[in-house]
Amino acid sequence: MRRHTRRIYGICYRFTGNRTEAEDLAQEVYLRVYRTLGSYRSAHGGFATWVTSVTRNLLIDHYRRSKRDRVTDSLDDKMAVVENKESAGRRPDEQALLGELSLQVQNALTKLSPELREAVILRDLQQLEYAEIQTVLEVPEGTVKSRINRGRIELARILQQMGVRPA
Amino acid sequence: MTWTCDLIEARLSDYLDGLLEGAERSAFEAHASSCPDCAPLLASVRSLVREMHAMEEVEVPPRLVYAILDKTLGPRETVTGWQAFLQVVRGMATPKFAYGAASVFATLVILVSSLGFSFRNPKLADLRPTNIYHNADRQAHLVYARSVKYVSDLRVVYEIQSRLRQDENNLQTTPEEVLPKSGPEKAPGQTDDRSPSQPRQQNRANEVSRQLELLAAELPLMSGRDIR
Ligand SMILES: [Zn+2]
Repeated sequence: MRRHTRRIYGICYRFTGNRTEAEDLAQEVYLRVYRTLGSYRSAHGGFATWVTSVTRNLLIDHYRRSKRDRVTDSLDDKMAVVENKESAGRRPDEQALLGELSLQVQNALTKLSPELREAVILRDLQQLEYAEIQTVLEVPEGTVKSRINRGRIELARILQQMGVRPA
Repeated sequence: MTWTCDLIEARLSDYLDGLLEGAERSAFEAHASSCPDCAPLLASVRSLVREMHAMEEVEVPPRLVYAILDKTLGPRETVTGWQAFLQVVRGMATPKFAYGAASVFATLVILVSSLGFSFRNPKLADLRPTNIYHNADRQAHLVYARSVKYVSDLRVVYEIQSRLRQDENNLQTTPEEVLPKSGPEKAPGQTDDRSPSQPRQQNRANEVSRQLELLAAELPLMSGRDIR
């Protein structure tokens, strides 16, 4: 369970960049896992992969939901304020924990499109194999590879714009 | 064939992941080392990937586990939730069956074993409260009311456990599993439940410790040791 929790929470945190949100989402993932346990088949590529798929689908749902909310509110500038508050509101211990550069990478990640973001998280932060990512994202290998590639390049550019240069 | 900047960009990760060979690799390097646009791009993506691979895994907040248990197995009636639940179970443990730090699970397992659930030949139906009721002896009646909720919680845990076990067995066969273990069944001086010469309790205790290992391995956060 700990192994799964670590992966689920890790993906949620990297995707949202927010600990509270990640905790809520991880709980929802578990709820969904427990409820849909009957639909699990080993053919899906193992329990861990299946749990990862559940996590990923929930994150995408969550992303769409919050995006729709934003549109309904149509308060784009208010969003910017919230985003600033979030990054400014990080606890100092969290900053120390992550390290300056990791923190910048984390911030840059949340600026990436969700499609590229999830691919990079699964590959470079969770270090999953291409085949597993393919199963989780339900896209062909070529697409997985190109998303990871574009995600990395995009991320490097965002970091450059932020004035960060990984040594 | 000379490579364009677009092609370099498209194959950047292939190059970094070591998937380019021979002529492709040299063509890539020839362009990337001399192009004023591609050289810095390659350098920054390379160090970014290195940085990401070195990034620490995110630490799971301990409270998250309790929150998950509350959400999935249902909240405890008490305010403090699962922490209090574990306290109660600990309180129910008798010294006779206390297995050190793992007494929490020992108690649960013994409780369920005593209610007629066979770990040797487990059936989900055995964990259904009514079945337990029918299988129960006089003593079990006394704990019935208190145990039903724990048992149905355990039923969910059991279901998950079987999935995990199945998954693990499919993925890997560890050396210990291959070697014939001096497990409960084979240990000298012990027989199965049918033998009248052996105390039933001995077998049960072995089953319990075997099951405990399994539970402790998969649910270390609940075993008491990790409760902070
Ligand atoms: Zn170029």
